[in-house]
Amino acid sequence: MQRLYYCFGIGFLLLMMSSCSQSSEPVFKRYRTVFQIGDQEEWADKNLDDRNWLRRPKLIPDGQVFWSRTRIDILKAPEALQPYGLQLVAYGEYEVFWDGVLIGENGNPGREAELPPEGELWITFSIPTHLTDEGEHMLALRLSNYYYPDHVGGYGLEIDDYEDLVTDRLIETSYMHIFAGAFLIAAVYYLFLFLSSKKEYPMLVFSTSCFLFFLLIMTRFVRTAFPIHYSLHVVRLEVISSLMFGISFLIPLYFSMQFPFPRRKLILCIYAGVLMYFFIINHHFFDFTIYNMAICLWLLSLSISLYGIYKKAKGALLVLLTLLPCLFIRYSVSFNISLFAGFSLILLSMLYLLSIRIKEQRLAYENSLVQSTRLRLELLKKNIQPHFLMNTLTSLIDWVEEAPKKGVLFIEALAKEFDLFNQIENQTLIPIAQEIALCRTHLEIMAYRKEINYSWEEEGIDPAEKVPPAILHTLLENGITHSLPPDDNRIRFKLFFESRSDCKSYTFLTFAAGISQATGREEGTGLKYVRARLTESYDSKWNFTSGPADHGWKSVIKIYS
Amino acid sequence: MNVLIVEDEARIAKRIERMTRDIFGDNLQSLRQIDTLHEALKFIKNNPLDLLLLDLNLNGENGFDLLTSAISGSFHTIIISAYKDQAITAFEYGVLDFVSKPFNQSRLQQAFNRVIHKEKLDTNEAKLLAVKKRGRIQLLPVKEVVYIKGAGAYTELFMVDGTKELHDKSLDKLEQLLSHTFERIHKSYLVKMSEVRKILVQSGSKYLAELKNGTQIPIGRTKYKDLKEKWF
Repeated sequence: MQRLYYCFGIGFLLLMMSSCSQSSEPVFKRYRTVFQIGDQEEWADKNLDDRNWLRRPKLIPDGQVFWSRTRIDILKAPEALQPYGLQLVAYGEYEVFWDGVLIGENGNPGREAELPPEGELWITFSIPTHLTDEGEHMLALRLSNYYYPDHVGGYGLEIDDYEDLVTDRLIETSYMHIFAGAFLIAAVYYLFLFLSSKKEYPMLVFSTSCFLFFLLIMTRFVRTAFPIHYSLHVVRLEVISSLMFGISFLIPLYFSMQFPFPRRKLILCIYAGVLMYFFIINHHFFDFTIYNMAICLWLLSLSISLYGIYKKAKGALLVLLTLLPCLFIRYSVSFNISLFAGFSLILLSMLYLLSIRIKEQRLAYENSLVQSTRLRLELLKKNIQPHFLMNTLTSLIDWVEEAPKKGVLFIEALAKEFDLFNQIENQTLIPIAQEIALCRTHLEIMAYRKEINYSWEEEGIDPAEKVPPAILHTLLENGITHSLPPDDNRIRFKLFFESRSDCKSYTFLTFAAGISQATGREEGTGLKYVRARLTESYDSKWNFTSGPADHGWKSVIKIYS
Repeated sequence: MNVLIVEDEARIAKRIERMTRDIFGDNLQSLRQIDTLHEALKFIKNNPLDLLLLDLNLNGENGFDLLTSAISGSFHTIIISAYKDQAITAFEYGVLDFVSKPFNQSRLQQAFNRVIHKEKLDTNEAKLLAVKKRGRIQLLPVKEVVYIKGAGAYTELFMVDGTKELHDKSLDKLEQLLSHTFERIHKSYLVKMSEVRKILVQSGSKYLAELKNGTQIPIGRTKYKDLKEKWF
């Protein structure tokens, strides 16, 4: 079922990618842009001789006005009543002239120092239909670049159906916002899950990654909702690359939690160093920085998933199968789209891993419930299993028939044991005093049945200590069943308690003549019960040994702190 | 009557002992109580025995081990156990009775009656016969036995595959255990009735049962009447 969701998720993603990367035949051809510092109205003219204009000025300081001219061939005239639009991405505030005609303004060129920032970095103008016949045209900009005087030139330019240009961006953004919303919900959901189940750090890392990814999408597409002045563009890129830095660290961190490997901390520290290095060098070539960090993230994640496969970890193969297509995506669509698609795939695989872990935990929990119920039943069964009950009743009948007064004492002892069992029946830990009382009563009953003198001794018992119910009782039962009395018809049991700094230990000794062919015997249900009870209460922090000794039998239970 | 009680619960052993003495009275020649499997096996080997009273759960060990060697003996076995669910298996092994705990004297009397009066078992389900073979005990399925011939204190089991096995129990005792499928047609023969093909009448009122494998077995003159009543 989880796999189904996973495939569904990937399908949805591919659908979105395809809708984002639609492209058709271009309707224009662009030639080289040339520049000239200064400000003359006739520089907007279509037929001006600009052969001696500058290729690309390095620096135009103080917000001076300068002009740019770009020759453009329109390859196909627009259809009637559907004017072309001109989409520009240029540093600076400017006026736009098309074939010498002013078709738009973006801010106040030349007056940037006096006026507050105006205009936006991504802007679309409509070109009047009568100016877009097939053939040669001239795009001239009258600009000033007050904030980034060393960033002149290198404009982004697109000409297409005006409505398409405007709506495509909206559609793309709306898709991406849905997408971002999904990750935001995942982030919040897993944050809550983490808060309610502490120590589940993979959940926190996943939640944070989702949140950073959400922020990344929002920052990337914020320009549609809010006009961004070119002076703020670098701030946006700084935010994007910082988010990338965070994501690039968190994703391998997450995989390292799911597929732990030796020297994890050291390797992660080195990795953080490498990321930092790529973050710092050529910091203002943002695409370069982001690309390098993405490659690092991909390589480390791939290595971890390979290690996971080597260790036969569940889900590692799927992670690998998710990481490999990322490489394919990288070389088949634009970097920006591949970044989002790749991250989405990786985050989905992380979600899948998380769901596997949650399922495992649920199963373990259910298992522990079943196990507890089973142990409880086993405890209850102790007194109704036929060997105990029927033999006791047979002896009891005999006592009642032969010596009624003793018979009554026998019944009282039996009643006491049943009562004690009722008290402990639904508990996982009981006071040691209660457990000892249970043992003593059991000995009383067995003395009536077997007519052997049983005696109980204890040493160093701390009444405040607790033990799982009926584990000593079980050892006692075993001792009674498998022991034969020596000539004096007396069997002794002794319980020692020792508390040390690192562990508490109970030593249970049986002093008897012979242990009936106990060696080589398979471990009985009794010892299994003891082990299961210890696991239930102390997880793996215990040790239990049981074996023959000089005097009879010796069992040691150690509980580590 | 020589009786052995194998029981590890002292009080219950005493009870069985007391009741056994009551029921058998003067007929009891010897009575012994043992509380371990090991010693019981040793005792069975070295002493004459007519009846074994066996608890199936001794000191946490499975009494079926002892049962297997017990039923190959010449004596009858009665199980006295707390585990009622083992009754079916015990009967399949060919025990005379299964007394579940807790029990009283009349239930024990009822079980002993089968020994005293050689009562046939009507609800018997014996499916296995244990034979001693080269020092080991082998369990033979009753359904593979065609007929049984008395040979003094022993019996010979004639099997479907033509082989012959020796059993320590007397013909009388086996008759008791196998009466649901086998019929005593002669003082020396116990025959599985489903194996009889026809009855041959010969001159001088001699009767013979011809089996499916061609063997002819004499039918006792007195037995013939009973047989005729019951089967024809």
